[in-house]
Amino acid sequence: MTPTIRRAAKAPTAKPAFIPDPGHVTDHLLVSGARKSFGGTEVLKGVDLTVAQGRTTAIVGASGSGKTTLLRLIAGFEAADAGTISLAGVEVAGPAAWVPAHKRSVGYVAQDGALFPHLSVGQNIEFGLPVRGRAAAARVGELLEMVSMDPSYARRRPSQLSGGQQQRVALARALARRPQLMLLDEPFSALDAGLRVATRRTVSQTLSDAGVTTILVTHDQAEALSFADQVAVMRDGKLAQIGSPFVVYTRPSDRATAEFLGDAVILEAWMEGSLALCSLGGIPVRRPPVQGRVHLMLRPEQIRITEGGSIRGRVVDTDYFGPETTVRIQLAPIAVDPGKPVDPHQPVGGEVINIRHWNAMLARPGTELSLKVVGEGVVFPWSE
Amino acid sequence: MSFFQSTTAELAPGSKSRRRAAGGRGTRSGPLAVVVLSILIAAFSLLPLGYVVVMTGNAGWATIQKLVFRPRVGELLFNTLALVLITVPICVVLGIAGAWLVERTRLRGNKAWAVLLAAPLAIPAFVNSYAWVSAIPSLGGVWGGVLVSTLSYFPLVYIPVAAVLSRMDPALEQSGASLGLGPWQVFFRVVLPQLRLAAAGGALLVSLHLLAEYGAFAMMQFDTFTTAIYDQFRSTFNGAAANMLASVLVLFCLLLLLGESKTRGNARYARLGGGAQANPKRLALGWYQVPGQLFLAALSVLALGVPLFHVVRWLIAGGAAIWTGSALVHALLQTLGYGLAGALMTTVLAFPLAYLVIRHPGPVTKVLEGVNYISSSMPGIVVALALVTITVHNVPAVYQTAVVLVAAYALLFMPRALVNLRAGLAQAPKELDEAAQALGKAPLVAFVKVTLRLSAPAAAGGAALVFLGIVNELTATLLLAPNGTTTLATEFWAFSSEIDYAGAAPYALLMILLSTPMTYLLFAQSKKAAGQ
Repeated sequence: MTPTIRRAAKAPTAKPAFIPDPGHVTDHLLVSGARKSFGGTEVLKGVDLTVAQGRTTAIVGASGSGKTTLLRLIAGFEAADAGTISLAGVEVAGPAAWVPAHKRSVGYVAQDGALFPHLSVGQNIEFGLPVRGRAAAARVGELLEMVSMDPSYARRRPSQLSGGQQQRVALARALARRPQLMLLDEPFSALDAGLRVATRRTVSQTLSDAGVTTILVTHDQAEALSFADQVAVMRDGKLAQIGSPFVVYTRPSDRATAEFLGDAVILEAWMEGSLALCSLGGIPVRRPPVQGRVHLMLRPEQIRITEGGSIRGRVVDTDYFGPETTVRIQLAPIAVDPGKPVDPHQPVGGEVINIRHWNAMLARPGTELSLKVVGEGVVFPWSE
Repeated sequence: MSFFQSTTAELAPGSKSRRRAAGGRGTRSGPLAVVVLSILIAAFSLLPLGYVVVMTGNAGWATIQKLVFRPRVGELLFNTLALVLITVPICVVLGIAGAWLVERTRLRGNKAWAVLLAAPLAIPAFVNSYAWVSAIPSLGGVWGGVLVSTLSYFPLVYIPVAAVLSRMDPALEQSGASLGLGPWQVFFRVVLPQLRLAAAGGALLVSLHLLAEYGAFAMMQFDTFTTAIYDQFRSTFNGAAANMLASVLVLFCLLLLLGESKTRGNARYARLGGGAQANPKRLALGWYQVPGQLFLAALSVLALGVPLFHVVRWLIAGGAAIWTGSALVHALLQTLGYGLAGALMTTVLAFPLAYLVIRHPGPVTKVLEGVNYISSSMPGIVVALALVTITVHNVPAVYQTAVVLVAAYALLFMPRALVNLRAGLAQAPKELDEAAQALGKAPLVAFVKVTLRLSAPAAAGGAALVFLGIVNELTATLLLAPNGTTTLATEFWAFSSEIDYAGAAPYALLMILLSTPMTYLLFAQSKKAAGQ
């Protein structure tokens, strides 16, 4: 979070008028203390989120974690029970302010695109435009080209489009009014794998060319990590961690976040100074929160099979996936220094871990391997 | 999250957000105004049932004993029960057999048969009765009633069953066959159980029609509860006797509803899982083609041929004389006027409830829906009786005015509008409204441009079916029509009551002509609805 938090002005009905401030990045969206309950179930339990002007933030979380609710609060489709939301320095929702959805200058693309079935593609895009006639038609063509579609598509019906095309039209329609903030609610999840990647790339490119501040809600961690400048991990109605994709992936703040964002190797370990002693030897850890008994987290790709590595393991079995193979490896117990007194709580190690390797031939069950670890580990306080 | 928003609708007292919600913002139990409106409309629709309950309660046990436990009621009970118990099974068998032949066999000309089997709905039962009575003047009694009502009402089973059959997943039948069942075993053990819901729904409709029908049975002097209530009311204005008969009739309706909901249970026969669905396989009939064709031909001759033949016969016999005079034009215009007004009012009244059902389902909505389900099954005679008595005693200013008649039509035909509006609103999900708001349209504008626009075709379909109902409505119209108001149905009735069968023929023809396109609409809609 950047320190340049602007005070929210109490101007409930004023149209948010953002004047870009060249020179430094400004906070565009500011959510603080947002809470929301439905029928006695608290879905959002106090959410704080800051999104900088022109940046892309992904809110990622399991289904039911509250991410869509947060997006709907920002869009103005729901009112929070507590907390404030400011757009470009203007409070749009809070105890004393309410700007309805249609006055927020927020673009919204829903999961299925939500194109109006009774209107053509062109009419859908024109729907929110203040102009009509020739000017609108020109703008429609421009917007279709912006989302990499031929202007001739304007005459088609939404039902004649593929899922990916519908999503791109939905984006063009949302961009038509040049919103300051674009909200994307799992817009790619209904698409099949190949189309998803292509559509995501087009959408991402379009939005960054237009310089629109964007929030993407998704349950797909790979999508979040690849799409956004900032990833906010949502769990049980709270944002568990906010940071750059690299930081949240490599230095997750807790075990649940670590496991949500990708495959994780979790080992029992003993923290001594800046080294975590485990079945993989001594792993360096930056700023360990505690000493003694801990869980150590490594990403599978940090563990490599090499000739002459110091760590020994035996292949249990493998899962073949084509380009890569998941190898289950039985590690040896933690080596203890015979001359040193052993703490009774010290873990014994000897876990089975999953790593990935490109060479399936190398890893026949029963093969003895030598391993090495690259990079640092992350530790979490011990819990049973 | 969206699951909670859409399913846990309820009326909770005002937290901050709830108070805001009332002002048109995010909300779960629905905008307060819509909820209140729906409750008022539901309360209005409970009038007839409430009237019967209150009247029975006020009558006291002695009166009930005197008026209910007597030979005359026993006779009516026998007639009515015999009519229902004989007609309904025949309708179910005819409806399923017809639907199966048309939808599941390689019957020659099955497209034409599909329409012909639904077509008898365009002929009002009392017109059918008129034709049969003029063909066989001695027709009457239970068997006369069974004959005419079977021919008039079997399409009520045929249409939903055909719709389900045409949409049924052939994979289930193939699974049956792969498990070693022969074609007949597949029909009885796989196909027939899946038709249970549609057939039970159709049977309920037939039963309710049998209980409510007046004209068809009065024409052949076959007494049921409905004809007896009408006579009692007309001859003596004797409130107590008519009311007691009405409460027995209402009791029957409620028992039928209960029975049908027991059959239904929590059963669900929707197709599970995704994937494209193949077209149902049709059975080659071979030499059975001949009896199949003969069966459908016989059914169509009896249900369509006889009434049309006799209407035409009387038209020819009547010559030009029956077309002269302004009465016909007058009745036609009045019928169109009432039909349009009633269709409009019914659709408008059904809208708030349909909106809540689709957008804000929850306990309150469920109760309102249940209320509508029960109140809409009240026979026309009970609705009319209740409205006459209530207006005479409580609002004499509107007694015998058009307002009351239109209100009766709304009470009687609300479900037709509701079913269609629900389907239409389901085509306009909330997300589209929100998309419009995110594009800068104020909530009301978004609602009009998206939700109203998208549900308009379905609303028009529902209104058309209400219109059809009003054109052919006789019982309530006879009791409630203001002085000087005549409709096609009441004029037809006046002529045929005086045995002026030729004079009645032009009215019968007009009713059939007006009903034909809308029957086709009903038929086409049922095909679509079965897929949902």
